[in-house]
Amino acid sequence: MSVLSGTAYDERRGERATLVQFSSAFCAPCRATRRVLADVARVVPGVAHVEIDAEHHLDLVRSLGVVRTPTTLVLDAGGREVSRATGLPRAGQVMAALEAGVA
Amino acid sequence: MSTAATPRPALAGIDPRGPRVAASLTSLVLALVLVAPQPLSGVLLGVQTAVFAIGAVRGVQHTPYAVAFRRLVRPRLRPPVELEDPRPPRFAQALGLAFTGGALIVLLLGATTTALVLAGLALVAALLNAVFGLCLGCELYLILRRATSHPSPAR
Repeated sequence: MSVLSGTAYDERRGERATLVQFSSAFCAPCRATRRVLADVARVVPGVAHVEIDAEHHLDLVRSLGVVRTPTTLVLDAGGREVSRATGLPRAGQVMAALEAGVA
Repeated sequence: MSTAATPRPALAGIDPRGPRVAASLTSLVLALVLVAPQPLSGVLLGVQTAVFAIGAVRGVQHTPYAVAFRRLVRPRLRPPVELEDPRPPRFAQALGLAFTGGALIVLLLGATTTALVLAGLALVAALLNAVFGLCLGCELYLILRRATSHPSPAR
């Protein structure tokens, strides 16, 4: 079951994996995180980057247990969460999480 | 939706080093509040509270500290690699205002020790910001929003 099911974001999941980023207005590293994840999604085929404004999706934020921004979830092809990280990730870490969880 | 092809206009961002310098000066003033004798300590607390109020209402780039940074420090530095959204530091200024404003009120009520504790907490936050670039908005804003809004019925 996809963690995004029931939301409009579920249609934007990638074929192989999805990088879900929770952002907020008062979050300085969210912009840099967006750039890192968008780069990874551009380079790796079948991977999509979906950015969600946490403030406007508090139900989803609560059900997923997100407490700070930026929080990045790695979803597999079926939309199940395989890993998550908070703070600004490095591209290498994202690649490693993709390889480990979505082989 | 943001598109990578259209960069934001330069006006939308501020030099990220500005808030760091402002946080350093804030730390210095708050440290003086803790060690200075009365009434100087109270006066400095009032000054810092006014600076936080400007930062919270108009943005950190309008505080006297940021003006000093632009006039005195920035001309000696290379241009910033990238600009920063002014909203996160503004949130931090509002939190600082809550602490120093509270400290000022209890000081005027005569609770000197409580006032110093609150000023000390504001100092810790400013130091974390100045030294480590801690983003308070990242850590606290979502928790505050989660706590202050009621869950809506399942969709």
